[in-house]
Formats: sequence, C-alpha cells, structure tokens
Amino acid sequence: MNIFLVLFKKEIKELLTRQLLISIAAMLFIFAVIGKSVGSHSRSSGVRNSVVLLDLDRSPLSKRIAGAMRKAKAEILPSGAANIAAALADPQFAGENSFILLPAGLEKDVAGQKASRVEYYSRFRRDASGLGPALAAGRVRKLSTAVSGAVSAWALERRLPGLSADLLKDPAPAREFAVIDGRMEQVPVAQVVAFMQSQSYFFPMAVFFIVMLSAQMIMTSVASEKENKTLETLLSSPVDRRLLVLSKLAASTSIAAALSLAYMLGMRSFMSGINSIAGAGPAAAASEALARLGLVMTPSGYLLTGLSVLFCILCAISMAFILGILAEDVKSVQTLLTPLMMPLMLAYLLPIFIDLSTANFGIKFLLYAIPFTHAFMAPQNILMGNIQQVLYGIAYQAAVFAAFVLLAARLFSGDALLTLRIKGFKFGGGGR
Amino acid sequence: MNAVELRGLTKKYKDFEAISGLDLSVGAGEIFALVGPNGVGKSTTLKMIATILTPTAGTISVFGLDTVRDAHRVRELISYLPEEAGAYKNLTGREYLRFMAMVFLKDHARAEAATAFGEELCGLKDRLKDKIKTYSKGMARKLLLARAVMIRPKLAILDEPTSGLDIVNGYEIRKTIKQLAAEGTTFIISSHNMAEIEFLSGRIAVINKGKLLACDTPAALRVKFSTEDLEEVFIALAR
Repeated sequence: MNIFLVLFKKEIKELLTRQLLISIAAMLFIFAVIGKSVGSHSRSSGVRNSVVLLDLDRSPLSKRIAGAMRKAKAEILPSGAANIAAALADPQFAGENSFILLPAGLEKDVAGQKASRVEYYSRFRRDASGLGPALAAGRVRKLSTAVSGAVSAWALERRLPGLSADLLKDPAPAREFAVIDGRMEQVPVAQVVAFMQSQSYFFPMAVFFIVMLSAQMIMTSVASEKENKTLETLLSSPVDRRLLVLSKLAASTSIAAALSLAYMLGMRSFMSGINSIAGAGPAAAASEALARLGLVMTPSGYLLTGLSVLFCILCAISMAFILGILAEDVKSVQTLLTPLMMPLMLAYLLPIFIDLSTANFGIKFLLYAIPFTHAFMAPQNILMGNIQQVLYGIAYQAAVFAAFVLLAARLFSGDALLTLRIKGFKFGGGGR
Repeated sequence: MNAVELRGLTKKYKDFEAISGLDLSVGAGEIFALVGPNGVGKSTTLKMIATILTPTAGTISVFGLDTVRDAHRVRELISYLPEEAGAYKNLTGREYLRFMAMVFLKDHARAEAATAFGEELCGLKDRLKDKIKTYSKGMARKLLLARAVMIRPKLAILDEPTSGLDIVNGYEIRKTIKQLAAEGTTFIISSHNMAEIEFLSGRIAVINKGKLLACDTPAALRVKFSTEDLEEVFIALAR
C-alpha cells in the first residue's frame, strides 16, 4: 500500500476519537434543539406582520395608503384613537409593536405639493430578544417604501400642475420613533436595533469566551493534579480537604474576577466606541435620543453586569471543578467540557433567534434554568430597566454556585475523587 | 504498639473485590515490603493506609489510630509517595519542598528545617533553584522521595519508590530509606524489583488477587520455597 495512505489512515485513527464523536454529536444535538425551539416558537407566535394604523387624515389618499400596506403583506389593525399616545396605551393593542400615524391634512398637503410626514412608531419590550427588533426595523423600511409609492402614484394620477421631482421621490418622508418603557424618542429604528443587537450578540460572545477559558483552566488544573498524582499527595496531608477545595476555587475566582474586570473595561471601551461613532455628525442627535430612551449604561449598570458575569464565571468554575474531578486525565478535559458547552451554547444562541417576551414556558424555563443566560442578558436587561430580573438572576447564579461548591466539597472528601472517572463518558472504578 | 495493623481489610469497586480480608502487622521502625503482580491491589492497600481511600470492610490502624475515624490525626503521622507521582512543574525544586513542608508541618520554623533536610536528602544542590519541568525523571523522583521523608514521618508509604530510575539513582534512594529506617521511620514500600526488596526490607508480604499469600522475612521465604532466589518465590506464589 502507498506509504501516504498508511500514514493517512493512522492520522485519521488518531484524530477520530470517541471524544471527538461525542463533541460532534453534542453539537448536532444543540443545533437540533435550537432549530426545534425556534420552529415551534415561530409557529406559536406566528409571523408578526400586524401594524396598528392611526389614520387621522381619513381621506381617499389615506385609504389608498392602507391598501398599499396590505399589498405589502401587512395586517392592518385600524385604531380609532385621537392621538398616538392613546393608541399606544390602548389595551387592545398591548401586544403590538408597530404603529403608523397618517397625520391630519396628509392629502391636502400632498395636493398642495408639500411633503407630509408619516410617523412610524416601534415599541421595544423590556424582555424582547431574538430577531424581533431587527424584523421591526425591516418592517418599517418596507412599509415606508409602500407608503411613498402609494402617495407618488396618487399625485401622478391627479397630474398635479407643476409637480416637482423631489416631491415624487419622497412624498411622505418617514419620521421614526422608538418607544421603550413608556419613553418615546424620534430616532431611526435601525439605530436602536443596532444598539440592542450589540448587547445581545457581542457581549454574550465575550462572556462565552471568558467562561470557556475559566472552565478549561480549572478543569485542566484539577485533571492535571489527578494525572500527576500531586492530588494524592495533598489528600494524604493533614490539611482539611474543604480547604483544598476552597483554595482552588478561590484562586480560580481571583482570576475570574480579573477576567470580569477586564470584561467590564472592554465593555466600557466598546460602548464609548459605539457612542463616538453615533456622536459624529448628524448621528449625534440619535445618540442623544438613545440616551433619553434610557439606553445608556450607568456606573451601577456596569457594576451589576460585572457581578452577573462574575457569578456566571463562578458557576462555570464550580461545574468545571466537578467535571475535572471526574476526568481521568488532562486529555479527557476536552470531552468533559461538552456538558458545560451545551448549556452555554443554548444560552448564547437561543435568545438570538427567539423573542423571550413571547416564548413559551418550556423555552423560558430551559433558558432561565441555565445560569449563564442571566449574564448574557444582563446588559440588555439593565438598559431596558429590567433591574429586578438581573438581581434575581444574580441570586439564582449564587444559589447554583453554592450548590456546586457543596457537591465539589462532598466529592473531595470521599473516594469518588480517585475512583469516579469518566473516559469518553464511561464511568468506571479506579486503578488497583 | 505496631506501626500498622490491617484487620480483615476489604476493598470493593462495584462488584469487583480488589482486596479481600487482608490481615497484616508492621512493626515500628520496620521496612515492610508489599509485593505482587500488577493490578493485585498493592496500590489500593497503600492508598487505604494513606487515608485517601476508605476500606469497604475491615480496619486499618496506624500507631493505634483508625484511618477512617482518626484520618486527620493519621495524616499528621504519615507521608505517602504515590507510584509515578509528579510535582508542580512550574515551581522550582526548593519552592516545591518549602510548599510541601508547610502543607505537612504548618509551622514556619519546622517547615524551614524540613526544607533544609529535604534539600540535603535530594542532593540536587544548585538545580534546586531551577523549575521542576527542567528535571530529569531521576532528579524529580529524588526530589519527591526527599519530600516524602524530609518531614520525618513516623510512617512513610512509598509506592514503587525507585520505579524507572537508573542504577545510581535507585541505589542512592535505597541508601536513604535504610538510613532513615535506622533513625526510626517505619516504611511500607511496594516494588517489583526483588533485589531491591531483599536489600531493603525486613519482611515481605506477597499478595495476589487481593489476598495475602505469604508474609515473612526474605530468608524464611527462601527456606520455605526451597530456593536461593526471591524472584522464584514470587513466581511460585503469583502463579
């Protein structure tokens, strides 16, 4: 046989370990869970295309605009409110996120060759997540195009004398408003969405890496002590075993705290980077509007985020400590990270695709049971004023951490430390 | 009082019985050898004496203290060197000895004295200031053995103390063990090297499949099995 093939076969055999297969299976499982959850969530919530239309013009043109929006596949929910505040407060539309206001005198303005501003309101919920906000921004863009088209067509059909090209190009300029927690500001929805996505995509990604790094660090440390038998020496010493657990956790916690601090500093520079981009030129107004909407991180917000991230890392460290105890050797660490990786990936990926404000109980339970979710969502919750949820999350993370520390201390004081081991998820007794 | 007493010692891993009703006594100041083929329960027995595994049945007493009930007090009397043990590779030899001395003795002055003794025992001299990761296997093993005995434990449990060492290093380690035993330390060692066992130990216990097959002085065992070679005794019992 060709020597290359001999070498190739050997390499494949070396690489294709049970650990690798388990990791691949776990990855497939995670994506299957996410796919199924997203699918069932979409079916249950339906594709939201509904728009509340507040027609203050009540003219043939405004009816034509409503028709154009229907053609653009929007489900029009007419509101009889006298103004936008009343429409937003109407309990009938409590679940609606998109509102359009056609101002009184719209037809008259267009007939007089004067651009009339159509107002678009996007309401963002406190616990909104997933693709919902991005879809809202897309919907505004789509409807704005449909409205402009309808108004231009109306003006052309009437062959208004001296009709200007500028007016035809944009006869009903959009005025976009964002509504968050009762506060309303004129700001491009896309800008709000970009800001929110920076919270729900990039920050969790940073935490994800810190958690993985911390977990790997302590697992390798415990597994290497087992493999080198330095642990056996320590266990035979007259030192309280709880002290051994505490010292290891304390050392890892100190490093986790440093990582957490680095995370907070990074987050601050990231935020100021975003704000400096927004602060340039005409976008400065949008930046101020975001601030007025409460989308600014205060020092206490940074502190809470840092605490949540710290407890998230502590949870991961305590879990990884136990997994390290179960590891047969340092090589098994890679496989044993899988049970930690699975909830971590679910906590990171599911909120990207699913709007938690409308998710069913099962998905919500699954996500909030994962202690990492609370840290991933902390910045967004703080910005949206959901402080209570962040505090509950930290309390839950602390409880999970305490439970795992107790379990670790229990494992450390028994035979399990030396006899319970996993090699490719197969439990077995210790050596003789 | 005997240094170590094993009575009906049994250890089970699920359905597998690694040690079955072992009875042994080790006198104070004795060098006692535990021999047997691979995987017959020698390390398990040593780990149970070292309090890091608990017996499924039976008892172990170390200088009159029960290894389960009085585990913490037993740990103040013993020192255990696992088979093929490693050390903290990023510490220097001196830092490692100092760290271990503090862990075992918890007293700064005593720890310093033990560290100085450990430095002398291991004979690594200037290399003690180098990181352990730069040490050869023999150097690391000498450091570990020094660690195990520098605190002058009443009982030293050494699992394969000279495993994988060259002749010179093995000889030096055996000499150290003999010297410390003469100074009063009790040793329980396990080894596959019968020449080493014969050189070091006062008595030998041969175990196989978790059971005690014979326990006597090397001379008595040779007479009993009508051979001049201790290895033949071992082979006869191991079959």
